[in-house]
Amino acid sequence: MIRCINRLEEFQQGSLIVDGIEMIEDVKNIEAIRRDVGMVFQHFNLFPHLTILENLCLGPIWVQKKPKAEARDIAMKYLERVKIPEQANKYPGQLSGGQQQRVAIARSLCMNPNIMLFDEPTSALDPEMIKEVLDVMIELAEEGMTMLCVTHEMGFAKKVADRVIFMDGGEIVEQNTPHEFFENPQVDRTKTFLDQILNH
Amino acid sequence: MKTFEPAPSRPAPKMTAGIIAWVKNNLFSSIPNTITTIFILVLLANVLPGIFDWLFYSANWSGETQDDCVKDGACWVFISAWSQQFFYGSYPTEEIWRVNLCLILLIITLLGSFFVKKGLREKVFVPLFLALPFISILILDGSWIGLEQVTTDYWGGFSLNIFLAAASIIVAFPLGFIWALGRRSSMPMARSISIILIEFFRGVPVLALFFMGSVMLPLFFPEGTNVDKLLRVWIVLTLFMAGYMAEVYRGGFNAIPAGQYEAADSLGLGYWQKTLLIILPQVIKISMPNILATFIMLFKNTSFLMIIGIFEILSTTQAALSNSYWLGGHAQEGYLFVAGLFWTVCFSMSVIAASIERKLNTEHRKELLSAALPVPASQP
Repeated sequence: MIRCINRLEEFQQGSLIVDGIEMIEDVKNIEAIRRDVGMVFQHFNLFPHLTILENLCLGPIWVQKKPKAEARDIAMKYLERVKIPEQANKYPGQLSGGQQQRVAIARSLCMNPNIMLFDEPTSALDPEMIKEVLDVMIELAEEGMTMLCVTHEMGFAKKVADRVIFMDGGEIVEQNTPHEFFENPQVDRTKTFLDQILNH
Repeated sequence: MKTFEPAPSRPAPKMTAGIIAWVKNNLFSSIPNTITTIFILVLLANVLPGIFDWLFYSANWSGETQDDCVKDGACWVFISAWSQQFFYGSYPTEEIWRVNLCLILLIITLLGSFFVKKGLREKVFVPLFLALPFISILILDGSWIGLEQVTTDYWGGFSLNIFLAAASIIVAFPLGFIWALGRRSSMPMARSISIILIEFFRGVPVLALFFMGSVMLPLFFPEGTNVDKLLRVWIVLTLFMAGYMAEVYRGGFNAIPAGQYEAADSLGLGYWQKTLLIILPQVIKISMPNILATFIMLFKNTSFLMIIGIFEILSTTQAALSNSYWLGGHAQEGYLFVAGLFWTVCFSMSVIAASIERKLNTEHRKELLSAALPVPASQP
């Protein structure tokens, strides 16, 4: 579902309204939407031929047409927010998975998005590195960033989410507040799911 | 109480290192191996002395004319007497510095495009590299920049082989990329045109293309204009090369993970920004070994130009062989020299290619791998 919001994939049925614009086949709208929607991928997708700093400056310079110095300041600001400013001049391959994912988060933040999409941001990471990425996300949530996050980290969802949506086979099965969702699931499919993951 | 008794020492291991061990392990390890080794040694012993004698010991090294070749061996006088022709064709002797200047520029920009620091490289050397064919034409012809004009009829020799190959590949570099982009495009028009062009220039032998170039290209120019022969050859070589380059690039495109496109899209980059900033640098990096291999192929193909009457090195050699003062049958020396020259240049390019490859490996391969093959998911 989140890949439909910035139209990396097309949906088959129904309609989708993002930021007051209906997502139909209209290229101009899509680029406007993508500018305001940040996205973090499962496999980071940093640009391997650019340094961390260049990765971060790319959007501000080329899409938002900001001067280079300003883009650099923005990039450093967000790099500090994800706590790795010392890595600015390295290449992505020299960083650990958790650091790369934090850079990816900073890259989206540089575009000053209205909403951020996370596509299983921790499922390609070592268990130890998951925490550092989740910590950054929790901070963001506390600062009031709107985030839509696909995750298998139930503890994280329970703690941070305002609303939990449970999907299966491409359809929404149940949505509720985290408390209600985890303590008092309504649908059978949700119950079996929670049983499966909580009992081991 | 039992006292500690060390186990008896083991015998020293068999010799595994050093020349003698290597010879024993690789050349005389079994009876058939031994027989083969001895056979080859005898063969070499029979052949090599003759070759070396002809090449060096009985060869004639100094002199001016054919009459100085008195010994039985190779007559290298032939090569030295004609060396200027071999390298520069009939380019006027007092203007040869222009050819040398272009060669030096070529080498500098080529090396600069790979080995200089990133900022300088992208701002100075790569644009200079792309403009070099046109700069070289200005310098070599001379009439536009106030030097004495040397028409293309006088250009020739090995330098012409180098210039033609370099000029073609430099133009084919961007052209091939555009064709490769066209081939991946979703627009049916751009797609089919690109496929037709690529497949045509890859599917027709380069020699046939040269003939078609001399016969058919004039049809496309306005009536009455006499298009320079070298220009036609350049166009043909460029298109031929672009076809191959497009396929090399295609391999590079396929090696780029889909995530790179998605990440560029999700930043809001437009098509050309995405292509030029994200995809192109990575494609070139991945394709570099193949690009250089293709270039070596093209360089060797320039010797075909002899057939349509361009005075590149092979036709210069033939002209020298049929010169009335040198009718002593120096074909062996001549062709050996040409072969050696091509081999030297191609081999040095292979060496440069290998070092560029190594450099790219250390710089970026790790990153590329980490983008393409992420750590496997580990569920808590």
